[in-house]
Amino acid sequence: MERNHRRILVALPLGMAIFLALGAPRQAGAVPVFSRKYQTSCQTCHAIFPKLNPFGEAFRLNGYRMPMETPELVKQPPVSLGSEAYERIWPAMVYPSDLPSFVPLAINVKMADIYASSHDDSGKTITHNDFQFPQEANLFSAGTLGSHFSFFGEVTYAERPDGGTDVEIEHARLDLDSAFGPEHLFNFKIGKFAPDLYDGFQEMWLMTDNGVDSLFAFSPIGIHGGTGLSEEGPGVSLPDRMRAIEMYGVAAHRFFYTIGYGSPIGPGGPNDTFGSSSRKDVYARMDYKFGGMGLDGDTTGVTLPPENWREHSLRIGVLGYYGDGSQADPFDITDEEGNAFKMRDTHYGRIGAYASLYVGDLNLFGVALHGTDKLQLSDPDTLTEISTTTRTYDAWFAQADYVIVPPFQLSLRYENLRVADPVTPTIKTLNANASFLIRANIKAMIEYNRDLRDSENYTLATVLRFAY
Amino acid sequence: MKKILIALIVAASSALPAAAGDIHGKVTCKGSSTCADTVVYVAAIPGKTFPAPAAHAKMNQLNMKFVPRILPVLEGTTVDFLNSDAVLHNVFTPDACADKFNLGTWPKGETKTYTFKKECAAALLCKVHPEMEAYVVAVPTPYYAQAKADGSYQIADVPDGSYTLKVWHPRLKGKEKPVKVAGATEADFEIAR
Ligand SMILES: [Cu+2]
Repeated sequence: MERNHRRILVALPLGMAIFLALGAPRQAGAVPVFSRKYQTSCQTCHAIFPKLNPFGEAFRLNGYRMPMETPELVKQPPVSLGSEAYERIWPAMVYPSDLPSFVPLAINVKMADIYASSHDDSGKTITHNDFQFPQEANLFSAGTLGSHFSFFGEVTYAERPDGGTDVEIEHARLDLDSAFGPEHLFNFKIGKFAPDLYDGFQEMWLMTDNGVDSLFAFSPIGIHGGTGLSEEGPGVSLPDRMRAIEMYGVAAHRFFYTIGYGSPIGPGGPNDTFGSSSRKDVYARMDYKFGGMGLDGDTTGVTLPPENWREHSLRIGVLGYYGDGSQADPFDITDEEGNAFKMRDTHYGRIGAYASLYVGDLNLFGVALHGTDKLQLSDPDTLTEISTTTRTYDAWFAQADYVIVPPFQLSLRYENLRVADPVTPTIKTLNANASFLIRANIKAMIEYNRDLRDSENYTLATVLRFAY
Repeated sequence: MKKILIALIVAASSALPAAAGDIHGKVTCKGSSTCADTVVYVAAIPGKTFPAPAAHAKMNQLNMKFVPRILPVLEGTTVDFLNSDAVLHNVFTPDACADKFNLGTWPKGETKTYTFKKECAAALLCKVHPEMEAYVVAVPTPYYAQAKADGSYQIADVPDGSYTLKVWHPRLKGKEKPVKVAGATEADFEIAR
């Protein structure tokens, strides 16, 4: 037993370093489609792309529309698919719509030089230095269709260091904006997307190259509960993206809510098959923003500084996620002695709190998440239950993003993950980033990611990204 | 009757300024498809000052653009900056001749003002929308004109005399020119990078 756990301890940093260095291509979020449509700068919406500023967040929540948008604001007038007057005689005629006058496509290209240090099986330190030129290219499409619909799509083409390639539809969704009732209160999304559960702290709203892996890449499943990070694992703490239906909205300018219903996060999650379980997962979040620009872009009664990345505000909220995996296909698992079993994560729950504080040039934010997984171990042949154990883990991170001057920005993040397996040490990671906007749409970054449990375990990435 | 006639002549002659003409001509803008951003104006006239106009000039922010893009004014003019959009706008200038002013941000329907005290071609920018750009060109005499797209311009009612004529464009440069106005006077310019 003792020896086996030691093996896990040695293997874990290696796996994590390889994962950080080679795995998990990070999607982008800069969508110059809107720059073209409104003939406006990236800086209108991004502090440093893809991180949104308060206005960019409002623009996104408005279904990619300007607050109180008038037709004159749209500098590429859309193609009409029916006069507005047809609205009055519906359903005698098809309800009018429009479409963008230019095919709304945008591209992000990312190059990276990844220097990675980690241990091999014998405990010796090995290093890699990989020119990932390019690492990935993202094709975006986004826009509005008439007065109440909008869409967002992203296809990522990633080149793996092993010579292989990955093509993935990372986002493909249709939104129904302000479907009924007061404006901004009832909006719907359907498709594959990053749930608004993570609004503010998922990859797309971060300026760093690395995502918050302790939340999105931790697999909570293992013979004694989850031990480490892996996107190949049989389950994840939280899914990056889901195939789901979501309702979300903003009330009284400052209250935000979302509830969603989607494919489960176990085997059959969005990056696997279309689902092996008859059950679906549910999630919900609500938060409130004090001060600064309203979540819908409202500015009445507030005085904002001219620098649109600055404000004084506090956004706090709670989030929850629940799934029932009791009907899912069980997956194979072995114990330390190599005995085979089947396992199911029959019930999994996540509950967390989120806070984001803006003080001028500084944005401090973080999440604390508690996860519970009911792991059912069964006989591999008969599927007879052997045991069911409830495992828990706790993950939290705190990040500080600082604008020195608009082209130079810094980010520092600490992640702490107490894994479910009680003998595996807590994962502690430091992620430091210095970003330089060479031009509004060309970005260079240096990012250092360090496993705080082991000084030989780190990556240093030099990243160049451009969007057009 | 004679008195009336004299009075009429006096009145008519005092209503008429001293003999005046116009300055007109054409600016050739090398490296630009349009000359519409060009301002031609009479440089400061030694010993002569002009009172600041009481009326304010107006610069609008509409559909995320400054309107007009080029606003020539006489030194001392106060310009009203109105935000007509539902989004916040800011107006500032990096130019020292306009005190590098920054008027902050303000919402739709509100106006902020700045008085251009001296000769200055001030770039107006918005920190919220970096693509927004306009110029207030404050000139020392009321004898100025903005060229049309084809480069033609006309400065009306310039008293007869000898002046220096200057040309300004946000990107293109040209040499100033001495002009002697006596009735209609022609002066052409060529400006280039
Ligand atoms: Cu603006």
